[in-house]
Order: sequence, then C-alpha cells, then structure tokens
Amino acid sequence: MSSKLGTLIAGRSLSLAKTYVVQAIFMTVVGTLFSGASHIASIASTVGVPSTDVSFFTSTTSISFFAVPLQALAAMFFATPVVLLFVYDKNNGVLEYLLSLGISQRDIYMQYLKAGLILAGAIGVLDIFLDVTAGTLFSAGSVLFEIPILAIALDVSVVSLVTLIMMSFGSFQKQRVGSNQLLGTSVGAVLVMPTFYIPLLLPSITFWLDLGLACVIAGLSMVTFIASSRLIKREKLLP
Amino acid sequence: MSTLELVKVNAGYDGKPVLHQISFEARESAIYVVLGPNGAGKTTLFRTIAGILEPYSGQVRFDGEDLLTSKEARKKINYLSHYNALPEEMTVWRALDFYAKIEGGKADDAISLLGLGELKDKKVGDLSQGQKKRVSIAKVFLQERDIYLLDEPTSNVDPAVSREIRDIVLKISKERVVLYSSHNLYEARDIGTNLLLVRNGTLAYNGKISDMKSKEYRVGFRTATDISKVVDAKLEGGYYVMSFGTPEEAGLMLKKLVDSGVIVTEMRELDNPLENLFEDASPSSAASGA
Repeated sequence: MSSKLGTLIAGRSLSLAKTYVVQAIFMTVVGTLFSGASHIASIASTVGVPSTDVSFFTSTTSISFFAVPLQALAAMFFATPVVLLFVYDKNNGVLEYLLSLGISQRDIYMQYLKAGLILAGAIGVLDIFLDVTAGTLFSAGSVLFEIPILAIALDVSVVSLVTLIMMSFGSFQKQRVGSNQLLGTSVGAVLVMPTFYIPLLLPSITFWLDLGLACVIAGLSMVTFIASSRLIKREKLLP
Repeated sequence: MSTLELVKVNAGYDGKPVLHQISFEARESAIYVVLGPNGAGKTTLFRTIAGILEPYSGQVRFDGEDLLTSKEARKKINYLSHYNALPEEMTVWRALDFYAKIEGGKADDAISLLGLGELKDKKVGDLSQGQKKRVSIAKVFLQERDIYLLDEPTSNVDPAVSREIRDIVLKISKERVVLYSSHNLYEARDIGTNLLLVRNGTLAYNGKISDMKSKEYRVGFRTATDISKVVDAKLEGGYYVMSFGTPEEAGLMLKKLVDSGVIVTEMRELDNPLENLFEDASPSSAASGA
C-alpha cells in the first residue's frame, strides 16, 4: 500500500515548487563549469590570456572538485519541496489519513525520504551526464569519473540527512509552509562545506576524503532515520 | 459483519490521557452516534479506533483481533477526519486518484457516488469549504470497508448535500458499523440507532436512542385556524405548542382537534431527548451543578 507513496510524493513535490527545480538545474550547470575548470587555462591561452594569469588553474585539477559540493547543494534544493510538502501534509491532515490507512509512522518517513532520494537521483543523473560530457570535452583525465561518482554519492547522502533532519523538525511545526527552508539550506551547506576546502588542502586524496565524508553523512542518515521513527511519537504527525 | 470492541481504553496525547477506561461493543450494523461537548474526547476516540493513536492501555479489537498487532484488522476501517486531508494543489480527480493509488479503488467511482462530476477538474484549493468536505468524504468511499468512522461529516455542508451524505451513510449502515459524530442533535436523532455520549473522556451513555425519553414531550401543531381559544397552547414560530407526558397524550390531542373541526396541517415533536442529555453533559451544566 505504501510503496507507491514515495513516487507520488516526488511527483507532487516537482509540481509544487518549480523555482527550486530551476535553481537546482542552474547550480548543477555552474558545478559542471567547475568540473572543466582545470582546462580553462588551455582555452584561455588560445585567446591570448597570459599563462601567469591562469597559473592557478594549470597547477591543479582540484578546482574541478568544486563541482561536487555545488551539485550536492543543487540536489538539496531539488529535494527541498519534499520537506515543505511533509509539513504541509501534516498540517492539513494528509499524514493523519495515511496513518488511518495503516501506514506506519516509520513507513511515512521512509516514503517521504524515498521521494527526496528519487529527486536527488534524478538530479544525480543530470550531474553524471553533464560532468562526463564536460570532462570528455575538456579532456578531464582522471576526474572524468571521480567527480560524477562523488557528486552522486554526496547528492544522495546530503539529501537523506537533510530531509530526515527537517522532517523531524517539521513534526513539531505548525506553520502551513515550513519556515524551516533556511534551516535546511544551512544544514546542507554545513555538511558540504568541507568539500570546498579538501581539494585545496589535500588535493592528492580529495576523492577518498570526499567519498569518506559522503559515507559518514550516509551513516548519520541511517542513525537519524532509526532514531526519528522511534523517538518521535505518531501524534506529532497529526494536525 | 464486523464487531468493534473497546476494552478499558485509555488514550491521549503526549502522555496525558484524554480517554479514560472507555469500553463498549458495536455488534450490529447500525449508526452509532457519538456525541459530546467540545473537548470531551470524541476525535481522540475516533483516532484511537482508527489506529492513529496507540492506547496507553486497554485494547481496540475488530472481530477479536487487536488493532495494534493485526494489519488485517486495520484494513477494515475507513476514517473521515474533520480535517479535509486533501492535496490542495491537485485537481479533485487527481487528489482522489492519489489516494486510490495508495489504498485501491477508483477515483471515478467515488466522484460518481458523491456527485462531484462538475468539480473533478477543479483544483482542490479553489473549492469552497463545503465542496472540499464532499471531496474529503469521497476519498473515504474509494474502498468499501467494514467499519466507518465519520467525524462530523456534515459540518460546513449545505442542507441538500447533508441530506445526500446522510442517505449514503444510512445505506451503508445497513450492513456495516458506522460511528458518526455530529454537533447537530436533530440530525443525530434522525439517523442514529445507538448513542455513545462522551463526557470528560469517559463514556457517559451507551444505548439505543429509541430508549431515551424526553423529560417533557413538547409537540407543535400547525393549524389552519387559531386554536388558542380551544386549547391551552402557546403560539411559537407558527406552531401551537403544548406539553404532554407521553406521545399517546399528544395523539389524543390531535384527535380532539380534528374532531373539533380544526384543520391540522402539521404535527411535530419539538423536543429532542438528545438535547437534554447533551446539556447535562456540557461543561456549563457541570459547572452549575446540573
């Protein structure tokens, strides 16, 4: 009964908040531009820009990894409507009705999380396509697949954790449309912030550090999921 | 036919009980009217039976199966909250289809049952409160179940639609258990077979409405002529009102008037035994020591 719910919620989220979709796609494209940044120098030199002015870009491919946090933030924006919908559905009785249909509190959390992951996955596919395309066009070398892999790993893990934290927070909210949007953005920004510094500080092991961070965030998501579905009483899902 | 039992149920919110030791059985297909003043615990009772709230103690059983542990038992109930529970960004058809995809049934059938054809392409958010209520009721009828819990189904609905809803409820109650809460005591008396009166979280009355008697049997007669000189009656709202001890005495009065040549165009009972019970249960009467 509840298995289709996640897909239905994802569809509703997309139709509800088109500005978030536009924002997410824009950030994804900006991220893609970074993924090809290390070869800006070669492009610049063809138009007569002195090599000393672009030496930072020639000295490292690390700047390409800026694509990863940008695209993770894009995924978070894309999935934000799911959290808004959760608070909205709570306040107008939809969650109460789902409980009355026999769908457990845990399943409700699971399905809204699934909706967020569906959206994160969708934007992740776009990330992969754009990053691989950009990487191929700009002869990205080793980062051709590293960046897309990191992008999708971070997309999924950050969206999971932010969605779960905000649903838990939203369970206590009464406002019609969650005023927790800023909080969600802030949480996501804090989570991805290290991935801006890692490529600059530790360029040789950026891939593994970023992947490790994605795994830690994924682990925190699982803990949050288990805790929230057990600790937050079902009456918190009532209007 | 399913049997609903509550056995010493205590339930509430945030650890604070609202329902105290509620026990009753619904063993026959009928409409069980749930009455009570605001804050008495009616909605909490419905939510507990629907499995939305877990009782702190006691049991809710359907056909002997514990609601908390039996998924099959949970599937036997339909619950209508007084919140509309509708995705307001969707059209009526899509909103019903949303629930149909989750629990089964067909949106078109529910639309047809509640006469929502004209509204099906309108956004739920653009409907009036009464229209939303009809759509909300329609979702409850997507799937047939054994027990219906209807929390104020005719609130914010015009009289014509109220009648339509009551007709549907009466029809389903012939083979199912229906718990129906209402603040309209005349509606409750007209359609209910049994009464559950909730007061301060306890069950103050559980019995048949037909067994209840008014403290005073007041009858209004509408006549073609002035009868105030024939009988001792007050004219109130177009009716000559008289008080009797029993319905039989009222019948004798009718005979007397007709035999006297008075043309009686209407005779109706003005009192509602539920009103007396409700007034006794309300906080204001409790405060006055009534």
